[in-house]
Amino acid sequence: MEELLEQLAVCVERGKVNAASPYPPDMKGEDGADELTKKALDEGIAPDDVLAKGLVIGMGRVGQKFSENKVFVPDLLMAAKAMSAGMAYLKPFFEAGEAHHKGVFIIGTVQGDLHDIGKNLVAMVVEGGGWKVVDLGVDVSPEKFVEAVSENDGCVVGLSALLTTTMVNMEKTVALIKKSAPGTKVVVGGAPLTAEFAEKIGADGYSADPQGALSFLDV
Amino acid sequence: MNNRQRTLAVLNYESYDRLPLVHFGFWNETLDKWAEEGYITAEEAKEWHDGGPMDVRITEKLGFDFNYHSLFAARTHLFPAFEPETVAEFPDGTKHVLNNQGVIIVEKPNTTGIPPEIDHLLKGRKEWEEHYKHRLQYNDDRVLKAKVRAGDEVVPFNEGGLEFLQTGERDYLYGISCGSLFGTIRNMLGLTGSTYLFAEDPELFDEIIDTVGTLCYRCVKTALESGAKFDFAHFWEDICFKNGPLISPIVFDEKVGPQYKRITELVNSHGINIVSLDCDGMIDALIPTWINNGVNTMFPIEVGTWDASIAPWREQYGKDLRGVGGMNKTVFSKGLAAVDAEIERLKPLVELGGYIPCPDHRIAPDAEWDTVRYYCEKMHEVFG
Repeated sequence: MEELLEQLAVCVERGKVNAASPYPPDMKGEDGADELTKKALDEGIAPDDVLAKGLVIGMGRVGQKFSENKVFVPDLLMAAKAMSAGMAYLKPFFEAGEAHHKGVFIIGTVQGDLHDIGKNLVAMVVEGGGWKVVDLGVDVSPEKFVEAVSENDGCVVGLSALLTTTMVNMEKTVALIKKSAPGTKVVVGGAPLTAEFAEKIGADGYSADPQGALSFLDV
Repeated sequence: MNNRQRTLAVLNYESYDRLPLVHFGFWNETLDKWAEEGYITAEEAKEWHDGGPMDVRITEKLGFDFNYHSLFAARTHLFPAFEPETVAEFPDGTKHVLNNQGVIIVEKPNTTGIPPEIDHLLKGRKEWEEHYKHRLQYNDDRVLKAKVRAGDEVVPFNEGGLEFLQTGERDYLYGISCGSLFGTIRNMLGLTGSTYLFAEDPELFDEIIDTVGTLCYRCVKTALESGAKFDFAHFWEDICFKNGPLISPIVFDEKVGPQYKRITELVNSHGINIVSLDCDGMIDALIPTWINNGVNTMFPIEVGTWDASIAPWREQYGKDLRGVGGMNKTVFSKGLAAVDAEIERLKPLVELGGYIPCPDHRIAPDAEWDTVRYYCEKMHEVFG
């Protein structure tokens, strides 16, 4: 079992989606996350173990390397694609309550801002870390965040902004979330942001990269 | 010395009378705001473009010397471009639009920035052959019909532009755009699409890179071989973000590096020794590819968002690396004291030589007109 889950983790880490994919070249022709997830479930490995000891481990490794600048965005994207191939087999188990997420993470780019690359990367890594991600998209109003929080008890919220001219909208969003659902944790990130700014606007955390956001959630 | 001479002198580590004071244009929203406030005319705001007549007027009003991004740009992009088309409309005013790159983007009212992409026409070999390949082939009109700044006028290359450029007689700096070797591809495929294509169809990935590189090369070759004289060559990429490149540096070096090399060797052979490159974000991991393939001037060195600076690069690459940019434009919204502090910060960087401060991207709408003017006055005071 452990050997198979380690192979699965390697496939996610290396972005090996399935046997047909020529990427990465040194794994051409080998089974990928698709085949190995199916095999693991067929062999009777518990879905939670396939997730936590296979897929999540692989995504965690690539996320860590990304935060250390040892791999780059394309590596993260391919790892996420491999992860998705495996997650497709786990979907029915989540629906049946036989597999479990760590929690719910609501993410969106704040009102007035349309940028989504950073947000999408964070969503990918957090999902790869075993969390259920509710992606509200871009230009999300404070009210829409609050509505999503009310529908997901115990969730954590992530706010993104790229522009100095829109990061001010984060403050309004944090304030409204804290007012309507006190105790809800909020983590913020984005190019112009700093930890000082996050503290100033009352956010619970700041992350400079996707792995940092996952670390915040996993604490 | 005129601005052209002093700019080239700085970038070539020669003596100069004073530092040229340059900028990199404005957000349209900034110009609209300044027009509403009465500092510029509605026509200046509406008709502004880099290096154009309105740009020159606004530049003078603010007190800058010129916009560095003043270029002759042959059509190195998709031509003909796709006809923009609204594919869906929603009650809140949001639209899904197929843009001129064949990308479906989201346009939302009261928002700013680059619109998110939700789908791309280019997905693989079939769409490449059907919709894209023919739009990226060279023909002479890509150069001949392109616009040239000829003194106070803007004219097509083949209707007086070439004759003006052949004389080489002008007092302003004017460069030749070499296009983009990967940014164009990223624009067509999106970040995820370009990653998947590289992984899943490497042959097509190589073909697209070669097609785009060849188009850029031939456009530059035609312009230069016609006898037009330019002061510098300039690429754009925009393929980095806060934490680094959006492409693997190894892949970039292997696949895109040679495309740079053949174009920079071409411009060098026509006497152009300053080759600059516009790339936002944290570019550090890609600099080796650029430096090793003939790009020697980094622009716009975004200090405001990720603390980029020419200083550590100069330490690493020596005088081979020049820079234009690196002035934290966010101080334009923070008052006069912040401007003073920023100019103090720039002093030792200017002393390094081969470096011209420039706001580190388009001036944003939170910039106050009087603060920008103050910056220009102080810069002239401090740097001549």
